[in-house]
This record gives sequence, C-alpha cells and structure tokens, in this order.
Amino acid sequence: MTRCWLRPGRTDMESGQKNAEEGGEIRRLGKRFRKLDLDGSGSLRVDDFMSLPELQQNPLVRRIIDIFDTDGNGEIDFIEFIRGVSQFSIRGNQQQKLNFAFRVYDVDKDGFISNGELFQVLKAMVGSNLQDAALQQAVDKTILSADRDGDGRISFHEFCTVSGSAPEPAASAEPTVL
Amino acid sequence: VSFYTKIMSWLTLPVDLLSKYLGLFTDVWLTLVFGFLIVPAVFGVPFGIHKYYIKILLSIFEWTTLQMELKAKEKNNQLYKHYTSGIIVKVPDSTLKQEIQDLRCSAGCLSLDPRLELADVFVFCRKALENIIDDDVTKRFSAQKLENWNLLTRSNHNFRYINLQLLALWILGVLIRYGVLLPFRVTVAVTGIFLFVVLSTVVGLIPCTKLRTYLSDKVHLMGYRLCVRSLTGIITYHNRENKPKNDGICVANHTTPIDGIVLANDHCYSLVGQLHGGLLGLIQRAMVKSSPHMWFERAEVKDRRLVAKRLRDHVADENKHPVLIFPEGTCVNNTSVMMFRKGSFEIGCTVYPAAIKYDPRFGDAFWNSSKFGLVGYLLRMMSSWAIVCSVWYLPPMNRKEGEDAMQFANRVKAAIAAQGGLVDLIWDAGLKRTKVKDTFKEEQQQLYSKILLGDHEYQNHP
Repeated sequence: MTRCWLRPGRTDMESGQKNAEEGGEIRRLGKRFRKLDLDGSGSLRVDDFMSLPELQQNPLVRRIIDIFDTDGNGEIDFIEFIRGVSQFSIRGNQQQKLNFAFRVYDVDKDGFISNGELFQVLKAMVGSNLQDAALQQAVDKTILSADRDGDGRISFHEFCTVSGSAPEPAASAEPTVL
Repeated sequence: VSFYTKIMSWLTLPVDLLSKYLGLFTDVWLTLVFGFLIVPAVFGVPFGIHKYYIKILLSIFEWTTLQMELKAKEKNNQLYKHYTSGIIVKVPDSTLKQEIQDLRCSAGCLSLDPRLELADVFVFCRKALENIIDDDVTKRFSAQKLENWNLLTRSNHNFRYINLQLLALWILGVLIRYGVLLPFRVTVAVTGIFLFVVLSTVVGLIPCTKLRTYLSDKVHLMGYRLCVRSLTGIITYHNRENKPKNDGICVANHTTPIDGIVLANDHCYSLVGQLHGGLLGLIQRAMVKSSPHMWFERAEVKDRRLVAKRLRDHVADENKHPVLIFPEGTCVNNTSVMMFRKGSFEIGCTVYPAAIKYDPRFGDAFWNSSKFGLVGYLLRMMSSWAIVCSVWYLPPMNRKEGEDAMQFANRVKAAIAAQGGLVDLIWDAGLKRTKVKDTFKEEQQQLYSKILLGDHEYQNHP
C-alpha cells in the first residue's frame, strides 16, 4: 500500500516550518491548476485533463475525474482539486486511500460496489482483450469471495478486508517528508 | 522684431545642437557597427570579447539571485527553485506488470497469480494523479523555467519588488538591451540579409559550376555568420571531426528556426522545407539560385513519396552538400528530444546526428509558435542578452541489419539525447496540437489483461 502514495518534492526546510511548507505546496498546485485550466474558466473539465497525453492512455481517467467532482456538476473547481489530490498524499491516512480506490468502483456513489459496477470498471481496464463472458465470470468469482454478509455486493468494510490491508502498527509509520 | 528673432534662435539652438550631436552619434554608431560586427563577420574574423561579456553577465545574475534569496529569507519563505523541488517525487519508470507485482507483494501475496485483485486499481490511480500534478509532456511545449533570474521580465516568475538596487539594475538592463543592443543587432541583421540576397543572386548567374559552388559556399557562410552576430550568438562546436559529409543527411533536435543558422554557421548544408511567401520566400528563392536547397510547394509537402525521391536523388549526388533535417517536425523547448519521424530514416543513407543545447540563462531560444509569431520571436531574441549554445557532432550512424526505420530513428534519438543531456521521450511533438492515438490506451488495456489471465492463458485467448 505504501507504494501508491504521492511523495512531495524536497524543500530543504527545517522540520518546524510545516505550515509554510504546506502553503508552498498549495501555491504550486495552484500554478498547476491554472496551467491545466486551458480556457481560464476557473474549473477543470474532462477536456482540460485530456490535454495531457499521458492521461489519455490511462483507462481509468474518467473514473478519477468523477471522484474528484464531489458536487457532481461535471467540473472540478480548485477546492475539489486540492481535496482530490491530497487524498493520495503521503500525509493522508490509509483510510483515505482505500476510500479513493473504493470510489473508483462505486460508480453510482451509493456506498456499495454492485456486480454491474465492478464489471463496468474492469471492462474499462481490459478493453476488448477479454470476452464479456470471461470477464463476468471473474467478476462473479470476486464478489462471491469478498461478499461476507451475502447481500450480493461489496461494502467498504468488505473491500478493505479483501484488499489485504490490515491497519499498520504505529511503530512503522512512514516519514512524511522525503 | 529683434525680440522674436531672439526667441527663435533660442528655440532652434537645441534643435541645432541635437542634429549636430545626433549626426556625430550616428557616425560613431555606424562605424562601430561596421567596424566591429559586420566587416569581421563578412571575413570570418572572430572578435573575442564574448568570453568577458558572458563572465560579467553571470556574476551579475549570481548577485541578483543572492538578493532575491536574502529577501525571501527575511519573509521566512523559501525561494522556489524549479528543479530542486518539484511538486512531487516521481516513482522511476517501471512497467505496469512490475508495479502491480510490487503492489500485490506489499499486500502480502508472494507471486503474481493470474487473478483479479481489487486493489490493482491503485496503480492506475497513482499514475493518473502523478500525471495530473506533473506530467512529462506538456511542459516541453513552453519555455524552460530558470533557477536564477537573469534580469529579463519574461523569465521571472516571482516578479516582485525586491530592493532599489535590483530595480536599478533591471532598468539599466532594459536600457542597454533595447537602447543599445537591439538597434545594433537589427542593423547587422538587415545588412546581412540584404548582402546575402544580392550576392546569392549574383553568384547564381555564374556559368562555371566549380567557381559558382565555391563562391556560393562563401556567400552562404557569410550570410549565416552575420545572422549569428546579429543575435549575439556564442556557439561552441564540439567533435568537429564528425562533421557531416556529402553522402548523407544531418539530423538534429529542433528548438527554434535558428537551429538551421546555428548549424550552417560552421558547415554548408542543403536545407529542406516548405516554400513561404513574403520576405522569407524572397530569401529562400535567392538561396536556391546559388545552392541546391529543396523547397517544396505546400501541396508537394503532403506527397511523401515525392519528398523521399528528391531527398534520395540529392543524397546520391556526391557534389551536393548534406541535407539538414529536423525529424521532430516542430519546435520543443530544449529540455527533451521527442519522437523522430521515420521518413528521413527510410532513405537508407548515412545519418550524421548533431545535438544542440542552448544555455537558457542568457536568452530563451525556444519558439513557442502558439504564443508568438516569427517577427515577435526574432525581436525577443534580439533583445535578450545573448544566444549561447553548444553543438556536438556525433559519429555517423547507419541502419543495422534487421532494424526497421522506427528503431533506427529511436537509436539516433537516444544518442542525441544522451549527448545533449536531454530527456529522451517517446511522445510525438505533434501532440501539442493533436490527441494521442487510441493505440496507447489499448496497449495499457492489453498489458493489464495479460496480468489478469497470466501470459500463458492470454496466448490461448481468442
């Protein structure tokens, strides 16, 4: 799990100036936000993200934009941007990251991953390389093994258990700044 | 009446003085320009104050940065240094398979079983977020950011009032650049282009081929030297023993239209390109009268076979100069080398690579064609401190057995990137205007499917 966190760049600062450091990061993210906002409208749409060639090749980009968009208006404003990015920051906790991954699958945001939703997301990840029947089989198998309470769908608790992420003991906490 | 004449004489006195001193000033100026810039350039004589100019500028820039750092320290801020502190530290590139394996291992399984793991999605998420915050491609299409400020407003991203001395220095810089350097340079450029067009046309009229070739080489070199002087270009050529010979093509990374001038300053090439209208077209037509450059009409450019045939014929002729080609197809900002178009590598002749690296501290040479037109760009060039660059000639390369044109192109690209200290990217520079092809996404989907099924199963899958 530790490999999927975003580590902030080095800032050569003394450890006592954490607030200034975070302020600096927000300023840099602000610059990045302004650069991505091609039409200067103050919020990012799918087109603005899709102007990044490396994102165009990522099969899950639309799901991620959807997760950022907490108010569901189809656009990402700066607050949503910062909140979305910070969930993957190394300073965030384990819960936040699992929550993010859970929401990738939970398309209708009802708190459960249904069979159809899992199929939909996996279809995006494999494209036409797997036949639908085989994919459906894999989905059914996964839900069967993950579903503890037998309601046919995966709740957040079941998701955490299945992702193999036991809560880490406090002694092995990662340093927060590289 | 005498009162009025007195007033008139007072009024005309400053005008008289001004015209007298202006005349003197213009005389001095023209003498300096011709004596120190144009005549030496025509005859190829170096005029060596450049080293001291650069040294003085560098020490001024260091002092400037020191001032800015002191001021930032006062306010308890950190001066934002672009390269030493990126927004995030990126995970070094590894394959999708490797990353998913690492992820699954850290969650406790020992081997990469071919099965569906819900947590795999983390890898795609992290990659996406890394690219959202700091991607590798779009930053190549805008000017490189500097670590230290070089007293040009255009390269200052923290522009704030620091102190009086810095402001005074900046104003002095503006006066020198726009008041002294720019007029000098424009004069030299105009003279140079005029001389070049006239002489090239004249030389083209000479019937005797040998004499014409010899003179046209001289005329071309003179023209390029004047252009380089007009930009205060300080070029260092390395490994001159690898200079291109007549039997091949020379390829280089592309940052600016000036690239051609930088290379042609040292050796004669045949240029390839589209025929423009206006002043540029006039120059192109004058050039082709005395030396066999290949200019294509707009319609002909689309006909790849025609272009390839002309190139092949030209290369086959021993007496013609090597062709100069920029395979990236468009300008990028000199921090990376982007995908090479394979067309020039299909011809089957020797390729002489050259790497060009500009020093951005004295003036940013990158032409951002979406921001500035050509004239605006040239004016910016002429009002910078200098254009300092290094050119490395690399040993000639030939296509190996069993290597196709694309692989050969990538090999040349890697060599150029390594020599110039540039990042070697697979991305097409044309992406500044177009979208990525779907095949890239399909490739990622294919890779993940292989992991789900296991390589063996994947082969058997219809």
